[in-house]
Amino acid sequence: MHPSDDPGWAGKGWSMAFTAYFILLLIYLLLPLLIVIPVSFGEDQWLQFPPTSLSLRWYRSYFSDPGFIAATFTSFWIACVVSALATVIGTVTALGLSRTRFRGKSLLYGFIIAPMVIPIIIFALALFILFNQLKMTGSVAGLILAHVVLALPFPVLIVSAALEQFDTTLERAGRILGATPLRVFLHITLPYLAPAALASAIFSFFVSFDELVIALFITGRWDTLPKRIWSDLRLEIDPTIAAVAAILIAITLIGITAGELLRRWAMARAAN
Amino acid sequence: MMMNEQKQARSEGSAFWLLVPAILLLIGLFGYPLLKVLITSILDPGFTLAHYLRILDRPIYLTVLARTVEVSLIVTALCFLLGYPAAYYLAHCPPRLRTYLFLLILLPMWTSLLIRSYSWIVVLGKNGVINLGLIQLGLIAEPLQMLYTTGTVYLAMVQILLPIMILTCYGVMIKIDQGLVRAARVLGASAWRAFATVYFPLSLAGVSTGAVIIFILAMGFFVTPALVGSRQDIMLGNLIETQINQAVNLGFASALGLLLLAATIAVVMLFRAVMRWRFSHASV
Repeated sequence: MHPSDDPGWAGKGWSMAFTAYFILLLIYLLLPLLIVIPVSFGEDQWLQFPPTSLSLRWYRSYFSDPGFIAATFTSFWIACVVSALATVIGTVTALGLSRTRFRGKSLLYGFIIAPMVIPIIIFALALFILFNQLKMTGSVAGLILAHVVLALPFPVLIVSAALEQFDTTLERAGRILGATPLRVFLHITLPYLAPAALASAIFSFFVSFDELVIALFITGRWDTLPKRIWSDLRLEIDPTIAAVAAILIAITLIGITAGELLRRWAMARAAN
Repeated sequence: MMMNEQKQARSEGSAFWLLVPAILLLIGLFGYPLLKVLITSILDPGFTLAHYLRILDRPIYLTVLARTVEVSLIVTALCFLLGYPAAYYLAHCPPRLRTYLFLLILLPMWTSLLIRSYSWIVVLGKNGVINLGLIQLGLIAEPLQMLYTTGTVYLAMVQILLPIMILTCYGVMIKIDQGLVRAARVLGASAWRAFATVYFPLSLAGVSTGAVIIFILAMGFFVTPALVGSRQDIMLGNLIETQINQAVNLGFASALGLLLLAATIAVVMLFRAVMRWRFSHASV
């Protein structure tokens, strides 16, 4: 333990016990996910760990199922659009929040965060009623906008945190030296915000890509990947799901590690 | 000076426009639809309380509501008990190690909720990893029934929500001034007393934020109970889903949704009041 962090009551025995406890907790959080990966390379109809013989049977089964591939593709491009929209709107909102002072600002802040902390089933129900009335059930645009609302808290929070440490004298210097506001934004503000915005884009992508409940309520007939997995899990559990799960876990691992490192880099750079 | 202020006010006025897209989006796709839920619940097609009376008509709805609140409270308490020490560890371990441990907490948090529920099927199912392992070792002859039980619902829900408690507690703990704890120790407080009277009250803000978020999210769960729970483990969310996707009774689904929302808000407000009361007494 770092001396300045030592609270003064954690003796050596305590510290060992704490470490052991933390490791056990990590096992609880991670082991079920990690087990899915070797299981997905099994040969048998029944999942086994360790698998008796290795094969790519379930991966072939996934890649040769047109329904699965179409659902994956749909989820992927929707998540890309959501990510771009949420990042742009979220960045613009964070800029607006950092440059204005008005009564009710914290109320607006709460309103922006609300979709993240309301039971999602109520949000989904509300959207179902809205789209039903507008005769928009099954609309892709509807799902995209709904996901943007759901993802928006992440860009707003991440970019706001970066802006808190932004030195606005740089912008003023640019203006005094004769640059147009647009030029200042493109050459000073935007490069500064780029890592935070990129981190936001990654997190927003996953909000949309993994979202089931809203899609289940408002998409009508077509499938997204989570919807397809859900219906498979409710009918019969085919090991193909293990292969899909393993791919998703790997993608999440890479994406979230990149997103988090970018976010940290953005914060560390801002602090200097 | 005057001119400068005017200029500042003008630039603030134009910055205000930056907030417009988000406000429009939130009103159109969040505020307004939620209002629609309220309206739909009291129309059929004219004003009626029939949907609410139907909830009282049969005991199942209130029984399920009570169970939903109970499960959510227990899950929240378990997340606190398991997550608080973990957050403490994270906040007080060497900074270099912290980055990696933090990532290990984030990873399961961002993995699809469906996949995390599914992973419990792989581990605990009749042909799951644990059952096959125990049979191979000769410890049991028949597979144990672990999946589709209430215990598994708790196991899976706590695993899904726990990272939130760890992160909110960590966020507050990292900002606690260790000098205060040392001061208490220097003044003769035992290690335990310094923790209980100085550190813990300061960290409560993180605990209460985490608890509120976890409770709210738990109240709306329906995917996990449907996948790993038994028939008796359904939550209010499952009933709402049935009303939407099978019965297509929007009025009744809305009434159930508002019941869920009202119960959630009531418990959160009660919790906040208790915390405030405890706080004002603790500081005396």
